[in-house]
Amino acid sequence: MTAIRVRINGSEVADDLPPRLSLADFLRERRNLTGTHLGCEHGVCGACTVLVDGEPARSCLTLAVACDERAVETIEGFGGDPIIAALRQTFHQNHALQCGFCTPAMLITARDLILRQRAGSEREIRDGLAGNICRCTGYTNIVIAIAEAAKEIGKEAPNAQ
Amino acid sequence: MPNDQYGVGASLLRKEDDRHLHGRGQFVPDIKLPGTMDVAFVRSPHAHARIRSISVPPEVRSRVFTAADLPRIKPIRITSHATGTKAPAWPPLATDKARYVGEAIAACIATSRGEAEDLATAVAVDFEVLDAVVDAPRDMHGSRHLIHEQWGDNLYVERVVEGGDIEAAARAAEITVSRQFRMQRQSGAPLEGRAVLACRDHRLDEVVVYSSTQTPHTLRVALGEFLDIEARRIRVVAPDVGGGFGPKARLYPEEIILAALALQLDHPVRWVEDRGEHLLTAAHTRDHHYKATAYADWRGRILGVDAEIVVDAGAYGLWPQGPYQEAAMAARNLPGPYTIANYRARHYTAATNKAPLGPYRGVGRPGACFAIERIVDEVARAVGRDPVEVRAENMVRSDAMPFTTVGGMRLDNGDYRESVRQCAELLDLPAIRARQQEGEPDGRLVGIGFAAFAEQTAHGAAEFVARGAAIIPGFESCTARILPDGSVVLMVGIQSHGQGLETTLSQIAAHELGIDPARISVRHGDTESTAFGFGTFASRSMVMSGGAVARASRMLRDKLCRIGAHLLQCDPAQVRCAEGAVLGPQGSVSIAEIALVAHLRMDGLPPGVDPLLDATATYEPAIGTGVFSYATHGAVVAVDPETGFIELLDFAVAEDCGTMVNPMIVEGQIRGGVVQGIGTALYEEIPYDEAGQPLTGTLADYLLPGAAELPAIKIGHLHTPAAATEYGMKGMGEGGAVAPPAAIANAVRDALASIGAEVNETPITPRRVLAAIRQAQTGRRGG
Amino acid sequence: MKAPPVDYIRPRSLTEALDLLANAGAEGRVIAGGQSLVAMMNLRLASPGLLIDIARLPELLTVVDHADAVTLGACVTHAAIEDGRVADPSHGLMPRVAATLAYRAIRTRGTIGGSLALSDPAAEWPVVLAALDAEVILYGSSGWRSLKCSEFTTGIFQTKLAENEIIESARIPKLSADARCGYVKLCRKSGEFANALAVVVTDPRRGYSRVVSGAANGAPLVLADTSRLVAAGPRDPDALRGTIGSDLDHASDRHFDEFERNLHTVAATRAVQQVLV
Repeated sequence: MTAIRVRINGSEVADDLPPRLSLADFLRERRNLTGTHLGCEHGVCGACTVLVDGEPARSCLTLAVACDERAVETIEGFGGDPIIAALRQTFHQNHALQCGFCTPAMLITARDLILRQRAGSEREIRDGLAGNICRCTGYTNIVIAIAEAAKEIGKEAPNAQ
Repeated sequence: MPNDQYGVGASLLRKEDDRHLHGRGQFVPDIKLPGTMDVAFVRSPHAHARIRSISVPPEVRSRVFTAADLPRIKPIRITSHATGTKAPAWPPLATDKARYVGEAIAACIATSRGEAEDLATAVAVDFEVLDAVVDAPRDMHGSRHLIHEQWGDNLYVERVVEGGDIEAAARAAEITVSRQFRMQRQSGAPLEGRAVLACRDHRLDEVVVYSSTQTPHTLRVALGEFLDIEARRIRVVAPDVGGGFGPKARLYPEEIILAALALQLDHPVRWVEDRGEHLLTAAHTRDHHYKATAYADWRGRILGVDAEIVVDAGAYGLWPQGPYQEAAMAARNLPGPYTIANYRARHYTAATNKAPLGPYRGVGRPGACFAIERIVDEVARAVGRDPVEVRAENMVRSDAMPFTTVGGMRLDNGDYRESVRQCAELLDLPAIRARQQEGEPDGRLVGIGFAAFAEQTAHGAAEFVARGAAIIPGFESCTARILPDGSVVLMVGIQSHGQGLETTLSQIAAHELGIDPARISVRHGDTESTAFGFGTFASRSMVMSGGAVARASRMLRDKLCRIGAHLLQCDPAQVRCAEGAVLGPQGSVSIAEIALVAHLRMDGLPPGVDPLLDATATYEPAIGTGVFSYATHGAVVAVDPETGFIELLDFAVAEDCGTMVNPMIVEGQIRGGVVQGIGTALYEEIPYDEAGQPLTGTLADYLLPGAAELPAIKIGHLHTPAAATEYGMKGMGEGGAVAPPAAIANAVRDALASIGAEVNETPITPRRVLAAIRQAQTGRRGG
Repeated sequence: MKAPPVDYIRPRSLTEALDLLANAGAEGRVIAGGQSLVAMMNLRLASPGLLIDIARLPELLTVVDHADAVTLGACVTHAAIEDGRVADPSHGLMPRVAATLAYRAIRTRGTIGGSLALSDPAAEWPVVLAALDAEVILYGSSGWRSLKCSEFTTGIFQTKLAENEIIESARIPKLSADARCGYVKLCRKSGEFANALAVVVTDPRRGYSRVVSGAANGAPLVLADTSRLVAAGPRDPDALRGTIGSDLDHASDRHFDEFERNLHTVAATRAVQQVLV
C-alpha cells in the first residue's frame, strides 16, 4: 500500500492505496465519484477522461498513486466553471447526448478544446474529439453544441487566455 | 405551456439530460452495495475443446465456482415452435466442452476485480483441444467436425423463402447479374459493456439483479426458468444503460451465474465486463454470406432474385429467440422495397465455434440491404443506366400500397421514389457529377452511391407467431397513475437507454391529459414498479409503449372528466382536459384538485366512481404485420486509388417514419444509427483464424468511428402517417444502421467505375479496395 | 482487465531512481507517462514487480536550447512539444508530428523518452528522431553514454537500452533555416497507430538528407538510396518510387507483403514530394 495526498475537485484527500489501482477505480470505488466511466481501459475510448493538473488525462491509464501531490478534477467538480456551464446548456439544447455514458468525458474534452482555442471550426472540433468515442449520437449534435458554446464563451471573454 | 410545445410533434428537450450532464447517471457499476464482491471469469482460451478437469488450489476453493458448485443453474434452452430448428442446451458455466474462445468455465470471487482476476489465473483447466469449425458456408453441412455431436451437421435451421416462379424469371431475363456478398462479423460495442450486480433482499424475499439490459421483464422470466425460482421472488432492475443496440436484449450466462451466486453466498456480487470480454463474448453480430443472382430486362426492371444466404450464428443460441431470426429476416428483406415478383432465397443458420450471434441495430436487414442494393446498382450498370433511376423504377409505387413483397413484407404506405429523389437532392447529385468530371487535384476518385430500404416496425403477435418464436413481443403495457397532488407517473415495460423515452412518453401523456410533461415522471427498467413489457429493441418502443401510454392516459382522462364534470356540476360531455385542468362551460377544476378528491376526499366523487386515478393498458397496433418506415441513404466518398483509403465526404438520409413524436430525438436516432452503419461499412470486424481465435481484442484494432472520420449527417423528412398506430407513428430506431454499408459500397463502386472495381464485402478496408482494383485491372472478377 | 499487483515508488532524483532500478533487478521498471505501460498492465501483457516513477524528476524535464541543438529531457510530454512550450529544433516538424500522436489526453502524459524506450514499431518519435539525426543520452550505473537514435532502436520493442539504464534526454541538432521536412502518417482513424509513416528531412546547408520509414514491421527504416536521391534533387517520379521500393526490398531484417510495400512506398513518395514543392 502506498500513501498519497491528492486534491480532488478542490478538496485534499489522503488515502492508502494498492499501487495497481487506476485513478479511475480510485475515483469510482474509493471516492464514490462515479461520473467518470470506463469503456475500454486501454486509453482509446475516452470515457474515463478527467483533468490532472488542469490537463485532460485518461484516468484508466493513470495510476492513482502517481497522482500524489497532483490535482484531479472530475465531472462532479467544475462548480461555477463558465465553460462547463455553457457546454451543459448547449449540449442540452442541441440533443448532444443520448445514453449519457460518454457525456462527462465529452464535456471535459470539449472544455479543454475551448480553453486552448481549438474549437474554432467544425474541422478543428472534430479532430479534437478524436479521442472521445460516442456510440449513440453520431457526433453531429456534439460538434454543433461545442461550436455554440465556444462562440458564447468567446463573446463573454474575447481576450480570455 | 400550450400543447404544441410539449405534445406529440414537439422537439421537447430531454429530461434525461440533467443527470448525465452532471455525471449523476446511475449505471450498474455505479451502484454501491455494502459487502459487494467482484467476479472475474475463467474463460476458455480454445475455440473447441473437451474439458477434462478443472484444478483449483485448495486455499481458494471456496471462492471459485464451477458448474458443479452451482447445481441450481439449469442449462439455457431455446424453445422454438418452428419445425426443423435445432437448439443446443447451453450450460452457463461450461461442463464437458468449451465451444468458443471466451466461454465461461468458472467464476472467481474477490474483494476487487483485480484480485478476482488474480484468482482466475490460479485456476488450471486441462483441455483436450479439438478442431474448430470456423467457416460457416464450408462446414455447415457437417464437415468432419461437429460442434453439437447429436446434430449430425452444424446447422441450426435451413429454410427457403419463395414466391412466384424464379425459373421462369431466369428464362425471361435479358440481363443476369450474379454476385457474392460478405458482411463480416462484428460487435455491437455499446460504450458501456455488460454489467450485473446481484444481491438478496431478505425483507422482500427476493433476489435483486441489476443488469445493463434492454429487456428487464423477460430477463426476470429467464432467471425464473433457469434458476427455478418464482417470478415474485426475483426483481430485475435496468438502471441507466450506456447503450444497448441489440446485444443487450438477450439473456447472458453471466446474468444467471451472478444471480445464482447471490442466492448461494448471501452477499452482493458484481461482474463488470471489460472491453476485451465484450469483444470476445457479448453477442457478435452481422456475419452474413450471400450468393445472389438477379434476372432483369433490358431496362433494368428486376424480374427475379435467386439467393443463398448463410448466417454464421456461433456456438449457441441466445435466449429467448435463438439465432433463427437473422437469416430469415435477411431472406424476407432481400427483395427490398421493390416489386420483384419472382424469388427464391435458401437461408442457412450455421453453427461455428465462435461467440453466439445476436441482434444488432437492423438485425438481418443491413446484410440484405447490402446485397440487394449492390445488385440493383450492378443491374443498372449492366443495362447502362443510372442506378438512381433504375432503383426508383423498381420501387413499389405509393399508389400500389399496401403491397405485399415477394418476401412477405406488407408495405403499408409511403413514397419510396420521392425519398430517392430527395436524398439525391440533399447531396446535390448534379454537383457531384460535375465534380467527378473535373477530377480531384490530389488524384483521388470521388463517387456517390445510394441505398434504400423499408423497415418493418412494431409488428405484432401474428408476425412472431409466423416466425415460430417462443416468446411473442406482441404488445407493450403502461400503468398511468395520477398521485394525490396531481403529478403523474407512467410505469412502462420498455427500457430507455438513449432513446429519450422518459421525455417522449411523457409527451404522449401530456398530449392526452393536457398536463405539462414537467409534472410527469416515466418509470422504466424495474420489474418491481412497472407493468410487464418486453423491453426496447426492434424499433418498437415509441409505437408500442407510446400506444399503451396513450391508451392508459385516455382512460385516466375519461375518469378525470367524469370527476371534474361532477365537481363542476355539468355533463361529462361538456368538459375536456387541457392546461392542467378539466375545463367546463363555466369554470374549471385543476387536476390537482381532482386528484385530491380521488385520494383524500373521496366523499366528493360522483356515484359509481371508485377512488384512485390508476389505469393500466396494453397496446398492439391494429396491423399485426407491422408499419414500415423507409429511407434512402446517400454517401459521397473520395477513394485514394494508391492506398485504398476512403474518406467519407458527405452523407444524407431522406426518411419517413410517419408522425414524429419528437423530431429532435428522431434525428438523433437516425444519426446514431447512420454512424454505426458507417462503422460496419468501413471499420468494424472481428476476424477469426483457422483455429477459431478472434484476431481483434482491443479498441486499438477494433476500430470505432470517431468524429474526425465523419461528416455531418444530413437529414430530410417525408411524412406518411401510419394508418394503424396511435398518431400515425412508425418505428425508426434501427433504420439509420441499415443502409450505410450499401450506400458506401455503391459510392465506392461509382468512384472506381473507370477501373471497374467493386468491393462487395464489409468493412471496406484499404486492403479490400486495392485487391478489388487489382482484380479489375487484371480482368478477374472476384464477386 | 485490471493490472496485476505491483509495487510503486517515486524517487526524488535520477541517482535514486537508478539505485532503485539496480536493486530491483529484472522486476524493476521505470514509468514515466505510463500511457503504454499501464495499458499493457491493464491487458496483463506486462507485470513488473516495482514501478519506479520518473515522470517528475527535474533532471528528465530539463530542456536546453544550445546553439546548434536542443536537448529535450526524456519526460517532456508530447503535448508540450505539440504546444510549442519547449524549444523546437525542427522548424515545426516535431510539433506537427506530436499533434498526430494518439489523442490529446494521452499526449498530456506520454513522453518522448517513454516512446523511445518502448520503440513500438508504429510509434512516431523513433522515426522522427532518426530522421533528424538525433542522439539519445542514456544514464546508467557507469555514467552517461549517447547513441544515434537511428541505431538505438534495433527491432520491434527492442532497443540498445542496457539493464539499469535510463533514457535521460534526446539531443536534436537544429535544422538550418532553409531545411525542409516532410511527414506522412497513413492511418484510417485519427489518432490510431500508423499503418505507414514516412519522415523526410533535408538540410542542404549541413549536407544532410534522410528519409525514414516507420510502422515498417521493425525498427525505423532509413531509406539510404532514397535519402541520397532527395539530396541530389529527384526529377523523375518513377525513379523516386523505384528507389523507395528498392530500399524497402533491401531491408533484410523484415518482410512486407504487397499491400504494406505499396503503402510504405506511397507514404515515402508523398513525404518526399512535400519537400520538393
